[in-house]
Amino acid sequence: MDDLMELLDDFLVEAFEMIEEMDQDLIELENNPDDLELLNKIFRVAHTIKGSGSFLNFDKLTHLTHHMEAVLDKARRGELKITPEIMDVILESVDAMKAILEYIRDHQNDSSPDIDIEPIVKKLDAIVSGEFEGETKEKKEPKVNLEEITLENVDELDLSDLPPEELDAILEKLVEEVNKDEESEEAEEKKQETSQEAKKKPKEPQEETKDKKEVAPSKSTKPVLKEDQKKITQKEIKKHIASVKEQTIRVDVKRLDQLMNLIGELVLAKNRLIKIYNDVEERYEGEKFLEELNQVVSSISIVTTDLQIAVMKTRMLPIGKVFNKFPRLVRDLARELGKKVKLIIEGEDTELDKSIIEEIGDPLVHMIRNAVDHGIEPPEERVKKGKPEEGTIWLRAYNEGNMIVIEIKDDGRGMDPEALKKKAIEKGIITPQEAENMSDKEAFMLIFRPGFSTAEKVTNVSGRGVGMDVVKTNIEKLNGIIEVDSVPGKGSTFKLKIPLTLAIIQALLVASQEDLFAIPLSNVIETVRIVEEDIYTIEGKSVLKLRDEVLPLVNMADIFEIEKILEPDKYLYVVILGLGATKIGLIVDRFIGQEEIVIKSLGEFLKGLPGIAGATIRGDGRVTLIVDVASLMKLAKETHNKKLVTDSLKEAKKKKEKPEDYVVMIVDDSAMDRKIMKDALSELGVQIIEAKDGLEALNILKHKNDIDAMLIDIEMPRMDGYTLAQEIRKYNKYRKLPLIAVTSRATKSDRVRGVEVGMNEYITKPYTKEYLQNVVRRNLKLQG
Amino acid sequence: MGLRDIVKKQQRSLMEPEKKKTEEIVQLVGFLVGEEEFAVPILSIQEIIKPIEWTRVPFVPDYVLGVFNLRGNVLPLIDLRKKFGVLNDEIDENSRFIVMKIKGEDVACVIDKLTSAIRIPKKDILPPPDTYLNEDDIIEGVGRLDDGRIITILKVDNLLKKEEIVPNRD
Repeated sequence: MDDLMELLDDFLVEAFEMIEEMDQDLIELENNPDDLELLNKIFRVAHTIKGSGSFLNFDKLTHLTHHMEAVLDKARRGELKITPEIMDVILESVDAMKAILEYIRDHQNDSSPDIDIEPIVKKLDAIVSGEFEGETKEKKEPKVNLEEITLENVDELDLSDLPPEELDAILEKLVEEVNKDEESEEAEEKKQETSQEAKKKPKEPQEETKDKKEVAPSKSTKPVLKEDQKKITQKEIKKHIASVKEQTIRVDVKRLDQLMNLIGELVLAKNRLIKIYNDVEERYEGEKFLEELNQVVSSISIVTTDLQIAVMKTRMLPIGKVFNKFPRLVRDLARELGKKVKLIIEGEDTELDKSIIEEIGDPLVHMIRNAVDHGIEPPEERVKKGKPEEGTIWLRAYNEGNMIVIEIKDDGRGMDPEALKKKAIEKGIITPQEAENMSDKEAFMLIFRPGFSTAEKVTNVSGRGVGMDVVKTNIEKLNGIIEVDSVPGKGSTFKLKIPLTLAIIQALLVASQEDLFAIPLSNVIETVRIVEEDIYTIEGKSVLKLRDEVLPLVNMADIFEIEKILEPDKYLYVVILGLGATKIGLIVDRFIGQEEIVIKSLGEFLKGLPGIAGATIRGDGRVTLIVDVASLMKLAKETHNKKLVTDSLKEAKKKKEKPEDYVVMIVDDSAMDRKIMKDALSELGVQIIEAKDGLEALNILKHKNDIDAMLIDIEMPRMDGYTLAQEIRKYNKYRKLPLIAVTSRATKSDRVRGVEVGMNEYITKPYTKEYLQNVVRRNLKLQG
Repeated sequence: MGLRDIVKKQQRSLMEPEKKKTEEIVQLVGFLVGEEEFAVPILSIQEIIKPIEWTRVPFVPDYVLGVFNLRGNVLPLIDLRKKFGVLNDEIDENSRFIVMKIKGEDVACVIDKLTSAIRIPKKDILPPPDTYLNEDDIIEGVGRLDDGRIITILKVDNLLKKEEIVPNRD
């Protein structure tokens, strides 16, 4: 059974591919009805499907293709002119073929009760017999002399170029030949026979249950001959395919997914390795092994990147796969709407990840429909405007950096931003004030809002008010963005920018307070450093003036409701995010850098959190959340209306004026040393917390946020001062906490070590009270 | 002839007590959350690990601490103490993360201390008394152990509810 299933799978994949191609060719044929080469190509496809179909006993399919083939054959020999009416019938039969194939795919047989091919067959017959009644058969002159055909030279014949009747005649002749010299070709024959037998066997029971109606009308009735005939038909198919295709293997997508997952893990490991190398480099600067390590690390990271690209490429498919169905779509739509539309496709070889190809089809259908329905004017209107009667739609795909751009352009009526705004106000989508502040580009984006439709009359093609907002959601799901441009009267251009792959992306890592976030780099326009004075408040909302633009400004910590524990820096760091025409400035506390990240799901329970698209595991093994830019923009808008950035910055600023407002922690294992320090500091008036060792100090720090300085002994049980300092510096909020080492270890290397782990000052015992007080005062920036 | 009978007999005697055990004995893992002892079926537990660092997640109820990395997988971390209204939220050397399957998903729960593996006859597990607060139907029953300890057995699948964590998802 497996053999048959495999064969069936192959057949289906090929048949779908061929039909898709045929669809396209037919549209082209309608424009160039005299293109004989094209006609021959279409004929051959129909014939091939008929051949394979009959081999697999798909009677219905064979029956249909047989009649279709007859029409095509007639056209090919110049006895029939393909008019749009005839083309409609042919396309209808192609659709029926598709339907049958889909049924076969789902049910493994073609006895689909819902698909009635008889009316189509009748129409096809009417075309064949209509004007040239009775002529079809006599008029033909055999192209091939039957006598010259032997088994040896049969491969040289282009069988697919022959009309079915002749082909049948040749086949019959060949069958005779086979019977005649079976001996001479025994060896090869046997091989074929057995494989034939294997394929044939499991099919037999199935055959029994069906009625034994003969497949093609003119086929031989002797069962032995039938077998052989099929063999040759198959041979012909194989040959045909071999000539069309390059050397390829079909691989289950699951395997590629698995491979991609493994690569993801490898990328994570690589990132980790790089991080470890950087740590090691700092510590062992100048050591010889570092260079060797460096070489290994960089070669691993190069290979990983190459491997990633290679695997990504295996998952890539040309976008032509999606584009192919559009000529047909445009033609049908244009006919239905009484418009004349030409579709120009460019860049169909541009490649995209398979999963994206699958997702992009529906949005594109919507956009193309819209272009035909709303974009292109009816012919009369076009002529009046002095445009060519036939409208043009360009569908273009090309690469731009890490993105692929799909452009849909029409030379239709275009969009009027003012009209769009007016309409949006009427529908209650925006307020008049919002409309006033809107740029043209933002106005164009209104068509993607739910509940917006520009069609004056609702047709069944588009304009049902659903669609464009779904398009936008779908594109954003792929981390893509949409750009719209339009000139009233001249036409519109839609650009969809989509990342090449979904699993691994480039991201900008930022910290908001102590929490890290990864922002997809495709949505980051730029990063800027500003000072508080650059922030303006307009109509109760914070904005940033950046060159000649005014951008809404929001603090990321406000969006995600993160508690503010960091005192704001003199500078503010802003990420300018862009999504379509919308831009906002997002205040973060630190830029970490750019990194390649692997997107992981948060699981069923946390999926769908606002503003969060997923998570990634970083080089240090920690989890970092990935921002969902589209959703974040929505949240940001809400926050922007509620909260002033300047207010939010004040929240973190603590009012510390008097010495009592400051807290100093003393970490020392000796009670006496602690007492000496305590006494000295209480004279300053500051508050004091004590800890007996590093571990205890760290625990206190974890639960308290308001420590202002620390005095740290080096020699301590459980955790020494160096380790403590190192641990403290791992916390973002303690990056600037003054750490003062107080120790009797006074050698130069001790001091160097102290600086390395992040100590700010180094006091050696013994020290005077005044000296200690001075150092602490200086570090707290206390007056007096 | 006799040999076969003996073998059969042996097999029977080997299998029958086994059957009885699997039918009647429930294997649980006991742990403390605050002062109270709880238990979950041993089969729902994937692994038990020492606490490691986690990442906070916005817009979730306070008992969802965040997510953490368990050998390359990102798992949610639930604090059972917060969930059960225990005030203490410190993590010390006795604290553990119990990774269990909740509705087919791996989720880790913070508990205060592991107590013991428990084998308890099914008949000794009683339905939760009416006085128990069991709104969410998270209690399977109450078991009385030989040494007099009373443990609350949790319904693992009901510990977490999607709609509680991420409300109004579209």
